[in-house]
Amino acid sequence: MALTAPPPGSTPLTSAQEGLWYFQQLDPGNPILNTGQYLELSGPLNRAALRDAMERTVAETGALRLRFAQGAAGPVQWLADTGPVLAEQDLGAAPDPLAAAQALMAQDSGTALDLAHDQNAAFTLFDLGDDRHLLYQRIHHLAIDGYGMVLLTNRIAEHYNHLTADGPAPLPFRDIATAGSEDAAYAASPAREADAAWWRAELAERPAPGGPATERIAPPPGPHHFHRSSQQLPRALLAQLAEWSDAHQLNWTDVLTGLSGAYLARYSGGTVTAGLPFMARIGRKIARLPCMAMNVLPQRIQPDEDAPLADWLTPLAARMREARRHGLYRAEHLRRDLGLLGAGQRLYGPLINLQPFDRPPVFAGLSCTLHILGAGAIEDLTLTFRGDPASGMLFEVDANPDLYDLPETEGHAARLPAFIATALTAGRLAPVPTASPAEVAVQDALNATEHPLPDSSLTALLEAQLRVTPDAPALVYGDTSLDNAQLDQRSAALAAELQRRGAGADRIVAVLLNRALELPLALLAVLRAGAGFLPLDPEQPPERLAALLAQAQPVTVLTSPDLAGLLPADAPVLLTPDWPATGQPSGTIDPGHLAYVIFTSGSTGTPKGVMVEHRAIVNRLLWMRDHYGITAADRILQKTPATFDVSVWEFLLPLLSGATLVMAPPGAHRDPAALAGLIRKHGITTLHFVPSMLAAFLAAPDSAGLHLPRVFCSGEELPAELRDRFHARIRGELHNLYGPTEAAVDVSFWPASPEDTSAPVPIGWPVWNTELRVLDERVRPVPPGMAGQLFLGGVQLARGYLGRPDLTSAAFVPDPQRPGQRLYATGDLALRRPDGAVVYLGRADQQVKIRGMRIEPGEIEAAILATGLAAAVAVVARSDSGVARLVSYVVPAAGYRPGAIAEQIARVLPGWMMPAAEVVLAALPLSANGKLDRKALPAPGFSATGRAVSGTSEQLLARLFTEVLQLPETPPAEADFFALGGDSLSAVRLAQRLSEETGQNIGIGAVFATPELAALARQLGNVTDGLAPLLLLADGDATAVPLVLLHPAGGIGWGYRALARALGGTRQVWALQHPALDPAQPLPASLAALAGDYLARLAAAGLSGPLHLAGWSVGGLIAHEMAVQIGAPVGMLALLDSYPAEVWRAEPDPGPVAALRALLAIAGHDPDGHPELDSREKVVAFLQGSGSALGTLPAPVLDAVVRLVGDTNRLVRGHHHGLWPGRLLHIRAGADHAGRALRAELWAPHAVEITSEQVPFLHPEMISPAAVAQIAPLLAAAMSAHGEGQRQRE
Amino acid sequence: MSLTLERMRADIARMIHLPVDEVGDDDSLPDLGLDSLRLMRLALEWEGAGLRADFSLFAESTTLGEWWAEISARGLAG
Repeated sequence: MALTAPPPGSTPLTSAQEGLWYFQQLDPGNPILNTGQYLELSGPLNRAALRDAMERTVAETGALRLRFAQGAAGPVQWLADTGPVLAEQDLGAAPDPLAAAQALMAQDSGTALDLAHDQNAAFTLFDLGDDRHLLYQRIHHLAIDGYGMVLLTNRIAEHYNHLTADGPAPLPFRDIATAGSEDAAYAASPAREADAAWWRAELAERPAPGGPATERIAPPPGPHHFHRSSQQLPRALLAQLAEWSDAHQLNWTDVLTGLSGAYLARYSGGTVTAGLPFMARIGRKIARLPCMAMNVLPQRIQPDEDAPLADWLTPLAARMREARRHGLYRAEHLRRDLGLLGAGQRLYGPLINLQPFDRPPVFAGLSCTLHILGAGAIEDLTLTFRGDPASGMLFEVDANPDLYDLPETEGHAARLPAFIATALTAGRLAPVPTASPAEVAVQDALNATEHPLPDSSLTALLEAQLRVTPDAPALVYGDTSLDNAQLDQRSAALAAELQRRGAGADRIVAVLLNRALELPLALLAVLRAGAGFLPLDPEQPPERLAALLAQAQPVTVLTSPDLAGLLPADAPVLLTPDWPATGQPSGTIDPGHLAYVIFTSGSTGTPKGVMVEHRAIVNRLLWMRDHYGITAADRILQKTPATFDVSVWEFLLPLLSGATLVMAPPGAHRDPAALAGLIRKHGITTLHFVPSMLAAFLAAPDSAGLHLPRVFCSGEELPAELRDRFHARIRGELHNLYGPTEAAVDVSFWPASPEDTSAPVPIGWPVWNTELRVLDERVRPVPPGMAGQLFLGGVQLARGYLGRPDLTSAAFVPDPQRPGQRLYATGDLALRRPDGAVVYLGRADQQVKIRGMRIEPGEIEAAILATGLAAAVAVVARSDSGVARLVSYVVPAAGYRPGAIAEQIARVLPGWMMPAAEVVLAALPLSANGKLDRKALPAPGFSATGRAVSGTSEQLLARLFTEVLQLPETPPAEADFFALGGDSLSAVRLAQRLSEETGQNIGIGAVFATPELAALARQLGNVTDGLAPLLLLADGDATAVPLVLLHPAGGIGWGYRALARALGGTRQVWALQHPALDPAQPLPASLAALAGDYLARLAAAGLSGPLHLAGWSVGGLIAHEMAVQIGAPVGMLALLDSYPAEVWRAEPDPGPVAALRALLAIAGHDPDGHPELDSREKVVAFLQGSGSALGTLPAPVLDAVVRLVGDTNRLVRGHHHGLWPGRLLHIRAGADHAGRALRAELWAPHAVEITSEQVPFLHPEMISPAAVAQIAPLLAAAMSAHGEGQRQRE
Repeated sequence: MSLTLERMRADIARMIHLPVDEVGDDDSLPDLGLDSLRLMRLALEWEGAGLRADFSLFAESTTLGEWWAEISARGLAG
């Protein structure tokens, strides 16, 4: 755009124009300020008269000749010599003349102007043929506003009528300069300051904008187009509006504004601050002047839903009248006054724009309709009503496409007229649903999930299935299993015994067992006895178990001798050794009988026992079996604790489908590596993950390349990013399920397929015989896109809470739509997408989920207060680092000391309810209305003044925390991994690094459970666990040829963890470690003897088939010797910077200190960088101080390492290599060995073929992660070149 | 029948629910509660009674005295 110096005589923009100027300057290419409309004229048009009328109109309308530019002191305008001339275009020959005209108009309106040079206006007459014409008018908003456009349009008609039909000659418009003088007069008047003060007082509380986009922020500078949905309002509605308004002595405009505001307020908690466009002309000399003068007045609308409409509309009308009296004060100035200048800081939300005067003009002898193309930028949502009840009304909904999509826009357009009509009929807002009747009908159709169910109990269905394939495996746990016949017989026997002890319909039998075959057997037996099972968690503290038993009063507790001690002495128990082998239960079970009881967290401090009946869980299980096609061929992993209701389908779906139930060992559900191993070993087809655990699982190297036919997620929101990560890594289906314990596990489903691009991922559609209803706080249906509380209806609803009719009736409410039925109020916020899929938004109350476990902070607060150590407490879930964790805020009482509360509440709360951090406050922060101000609660910081780490484990962890989290300084012992910025991915990384450094796989679960550095250090326990001679470093396909890595001089193989991680998955990777790391073991006689010993150990472990062998440094020599002893060239032999024995024999004996210094290299340090370390004590102290895992070794082991370094040197010097009849891959440390002839060719006498590679690292760095990144691909290629084949295993 | 000053005063008073004698020639009508919509309804009524002017005539000024002066000066009363 060319810069133009404004001509002399230019005048400043008016305050009304300035805001538009700056908006346009933000994005000069944006054409959205081109306001436009066209008149559709039907009948015999007098073209000459229209041309004349246009000329006369342009001549008297100064606004049409305005040009604009930036002047020295601000934006200015001036009058050009000429105005626009009517263009004429004949489209009669076009195939679709109307469409052709509309396209031309859209093209013109869509072109941004050069405001200094271009005419700001254009007029075109399109001749469509057959006496149809369109008169197109396009004017930049800087020159004109909506009312100005009305004046101009009417003026064209007045001239036309004067010229053709003897109408009166119109009085000419005033000079456009009047706009500037009126503006200046107001700016200088005392009224302006009074108006400003009035507005500042009116908006002192900074009311939120509200409306449907209340949670969304539009990015500046704003879009170039908008969504539009328009319609003529029905005559009946207009008549109703006019009549009702007259009857209540209200202007229909005020009623329409008020009811539109009430509709918008439904989206933002009952209040909206609407923008009301104000013509700002009445009583001013610009009243009849086409110009830009309009203002927007913020108006808070907060209707009383229960009162008669007039009770709140009348004062609202008075308030709006008062506001108009102060309406010349610009909204832009008000925004500045109130400090609302940032993006997303708005004075008002949607606009409610009443243009009663904007009716089609009257052209003599013609019929005329008016079509509005655009009226300026749409910041949010604009509801425009043009016309009046008597002459008809055009209703337009325009929406900012950055905030609304087109279906949403159309939804508002369709819904508001129904809302207004229903409200006027009802006389109050309370009975008016926000959803239109059509939308309610659509929701009902989505909930039409009727599906026939067998009228039988779960027990009957399970018993029938057991007998279908008696010989098929039912349960597998480790190396043990039960077939259906065995399970049938043993569960029947146990059921009979339970019945003898009083079990039967609607009685409860508790089950306290670790995960093993006895657990599903017990659950089945309870069901066959006709009773409901109550699972108890062995990890819960005894006091809590006692409280649950007292509440549930079970007939007996099925438990094992090792767990019985957790129970009160007087609890009736039936121990596993006493379970009978024979017997048959009797009696029949009704679908309405109790199937199970599961306790959930209760906000008042007492857990709530949810009672679920057979019919409910039968519906859930049969739906899942049929919907996902579960068959006898499936193998379903059971890994969820039995106290979490997801376990109910894990246990019972396989039994109901004839599939195999595979039980994961206790604790495996927290360990990605163990899970991946289980999945591979057992060919699992179906399993469940809480999404946060799925994230950790996907981040673990072991999950790469898995095939998992069905993965179900529930318990937490499934992030869209996690869905995508799943499909990038795993072959199989991913399904998102949702449901509370109160509705038999899950009530909705969504296929989170690779093609699904939904963000957020919906919870989806109802299961069989189930209704999902999104209702507002008055239990009225809400439309798609509007947040409400999710209510559930249908067959899966629980009976209620055990022994708590009060809680039951509060949560299970009468269904207003279906008398006699119940709805369960989930407390979850949700909305429906336009397609009807339900999206979970969060909680309506304080309930939180930590790793899928549902927790009421109130229960924890009650436990803390019961200790007497806190005067006040608040427990919240914080996600400061992306991982939700519980934090308690405590105001200490007498006797408080750090840690004392945790000690006490650990006796009554399960581990997953223990706060991860405790913050001491002098007082809880309160908001203005006296409630806890949650936003003011500080994040649990880590204090840099905490206790310095001490001891090798803490030092090691401090180093790894620093490395993984990239901390600027060493963290103290109290440091919390997640508070320092850790998340599930970095937790996986920490666990991996720990296992690389120590050989100990603590599992990511340990990091989640004990994120505090000192606590985690205690978990590390005895690091000698990693010293076994044969160590599986990375799991993988057990049918592929495994890779075996040989230890370097110190005898320790964990250094290969990074290499193993890079090569695992496709095969198993093992490390051999020196047996004499155990000081009690003798030293080998020779290197050949050591290699032979290793081959024997491998054979004993079943690794006797083909092998790939590799080793770094001395490890390469051992690998070569093993290959020679095997003899056949069947696998890869790779040597990482190893050189044959004769090289070393030729050198002088390095002596004991040099051997010791080799330890530094093993720990990853360059020995040449530390010449000062010249004694055993100094080397050991250095290793301990550096946090090296070697430094964490117990003294005897460290002694053994030192001994082995020396002894290995002896072995090498005494060794003579044989010839290996295959190819040797040598990878040289290219950055090392300056001045020494250490090269691959040295191996030429000992192998028939040598492949030589080189990487740019020092010898000590060869197994570091950086070197591994280059070496692993070389090894992978070499191994695959050997043509895998299936490994033979005897 | 042509429009008179007193008929206009009576119509305004009815529209804003005030006694006729409280609508003075020099009172600011917006301050008395006459908004643009009510004014438009009056303008339409007065057009029906023979006035040869539209709503915008009344918009430029805010008192009955000014309106009547304009109507009289231009002979618009019908």
